[in-house]
Amino acid sequence: MENQRALTKTVIYGTLSVTLYFLLYLFSEQIIELSRQGGRYFMIPIVIAFIFSVVHGNFTGYFWDLLGIKAKTKK
Amino acid sequence: MEFIDLNSLNVIYLFIVGFIGGLVSGFIGSGGAFVLTPAMMNLGVSGIMAVASNMCHKFPKSLVGAMKRHKFGQVDIKLGIVMGISAEAGVLVGAELMQHIREVFGKSGSNLYVSVVFVVVLAIVGGYVLRDAIKMMRSEDSEKEELTKIAKWVHSVHIPYTMMYFKSIGTEISVLFTIPLGFATGMLAATIAVGGFIGVPAMMYILGVPGLMASATELVIAFIMGMGGTMKYALSGLVDVRLAMIILAGSLFGIQLGAIGTTYVKPYMVKLVMGVIMIIVLFSRGTMIPAYLSDLSLINTLSPETISWMKMVSFVLLVIALTVGAVIVFSALIKGMLQHRRELAAGEADATHFSDSQVDSLTSVGRLERIMLVTDNSDFTEGATHEAIRMAKRCKSKLHIFSVLPEADYEIPVGQQHLLLEERRATVARLNEVQVHAEAEGVDCEILLGHGDAFAEIVDEAEYSKMDLIVMGRREKSDLARAMLGGTTAKVIGHTHCNVLVVPRGAKIEGKGIVLPVDGSRYSDAAATAVLTLTKQCPTPVTVASVARDEHQQTEARQRAERVQALLKQADVNANVYIGTGLADEMIAQVTQSTQSDLVVMGSHGHSGLDRLLLGSTSERVIGRVDCPVLVVKV
Repeated sequence: MENQRALTKTVIYGTLSVTLYFLLYLFSEQIIELSRQGGRYFMIPIVIAFIFSVVHGNFTGYFWDLLGIKAKTKK
Repeated sequence: MEFIDLNSLNVIYLFIVGFIGGLVSGFIGSGGAFVLTPAMMNLGVSGIMAVASNMCHKFPKSLVGAMKRHKFGQVDIKLGIVMGISAEAGVLVGAELMQHIREVFGKSGSNLYVSVVFVVVLAIVGGYVLRDAIKMMRSEDSEKEELTKIAKWVHSVHIPYTMMYFKSIGTEISVLFTIPLGFATGMLAATIAVGGFIGVPAMMYILGVPGLMASATELVIAFIMGMGGTMKYALSGLVDVRLAMIILAGSLFGIQLGAIGTTYVKPYMVKLVMGVIMIIVLFSRGTMIPAYLSDLSLINTLSPETISWMKMVSFVLLVIALTVGAVIVFSALIKGMLQHRRELAAGEADATHFSDSQVDSLTSVGRLERIMLVTDNSDFTEGATHEAIRMAKRCKSKLHIFSVLPEADYEIPVGQQHLLLEERRATVARLNEVQVHAEAEGVDCEILLGHGDAFAEIVDEAEYSKMDLIVMGRREKSDLARAMLGGTTAKVIGHTHCNVLVVPRGAKIEGKGIVLPVDGSRYSDAAATAVLTLTKQCPTPVTVASVARDEHQQTEARQRAERVQALLKQADVNANVYIGTGLADEMIAQVTQSTQSDLVVMGSHGHSGLDRLLLGSTSERVIGRVDCPVLVVKV
């Protein structure tokens, strides 16, 4: 059950993460153009960083979980 | 400002550096930046853009690291926020100061200033951290962290209207101490890009925060500083989010691993890694001082070749610092995990050498070497606690007392965090109380903690730690939510592979009688085998109960019961037979009451998910109906 749960979540978040990186690659020129302007566009890198941290953060967490590398819970 | 072109080699390079930086940050709370910034500059990124992009990768990385380590109970969010805000102020002042120094003394002057600050700070603080780590490593109790004299003094000072309680310190201290420390962390972050090199030691030695908690709390400070820094640079359009996200791709893999590593090591390891890195970085910076002195004509001018060699040696030393840190973290993690697995395997290895008495009791009830008592801070687990201790004492089993702590604070409404903290404190206090009680009875026991979804944590821990039996309480049967949604107990029964003893509040097993419901399946045969073991250890009247849905099925129900009765008879156990008609749970509750039995032993079909929702579970309904303990035997 443990492995199945980790596998499902790794696959879901992994797919989302790859999609996000692909989109970043696809629209990199537009993103850079807007970031370069600064000012009111300052939120662009921050919003992107937050979205990536949630999706990729979850993916990496479940990834190690799937490989059996998990925290020791003993007090 | 130009943004560089990225090729696949650059991407791999940044990913790997990000991974190693993340690994170290996850472990000691900071680090990585001192290599990442020059690493980006090596690719042709301008200095300021490298700093800006590093900031943009640092805050999401710290966020993920802080959330991970918060799950392990290592983060003091309040202390992190208080110090983070003052650190942000320190960053702004530090950046202004750096700007001023650059204007007055030029680039070499500012580099010289940075290097001297680096060398002096790292020599004093790094030397102290390393000395403390070695002292702890060599001491008899290597887990014990002693308070420094200054920390004791800070705890003793009471300044009215400035006192604040911090859970990591365990007492109130004046914020007049935390604000300057946070400010200094920020100042240093603005100057040498690694604020944690002063923030973590300051928390450990001046405030008296334990090493693991200090390094975890530093991640909150790093998040606040990184967020502020990113905003500042993004407003000027200096952040290359592509670079930041590529580094983040690697560093999030690293930070998760580094954070996991902290749960396997003794506290001195954090200090050791930090101290070693600080000293190597010190040499790296120190190497460059003659070059800056030469630029300022304070010493004889050095040749460009010599300066370029110095630059290379300095960078290589930075890479070595990070690599050495990563190797120590990796080896500590691998060593810790292997040790943990060896401990678990030792338990299993014992299972291959049975004594005669063990072979006798090798049935569906198992050998009961590892009993897992699930407890929370409520009275509902009182009966379960009592029975688990009694059983562990009688069977000389090891008792593992398990509680699940609530999930991270970010899901809790603002202003209610204190309730969560209270609950955690009460849960841990309750665990300690049960441990004291069990040890007083001569039971060998251990405390285990889980975080998050209660039922999943219980099931996973039982499987991971190879438990023989889970003992848990149950909520009152009138609990409507439980009836509709299924409580934790029901979900555990549905998913676990080991036997579960559910003990209602105030119930006891005194050997008055056992009810054994049968339905002809292999699950009820397993329950019958379990009853055989139990009656062998403690002769108890047994009633085999078989329920027919209607009168036409009574013969079949009787045959099922008599088959099990005959099976018990072969082992010299005389059992009565009860045949009922109607709903199984109602009939079982009725026979339990009429025979005054104090234990129901039944097999479980182990329905989970949709099956359970559609079909329901007889064992779940019986547990909700009877007032005595129910042993659910799993095949």
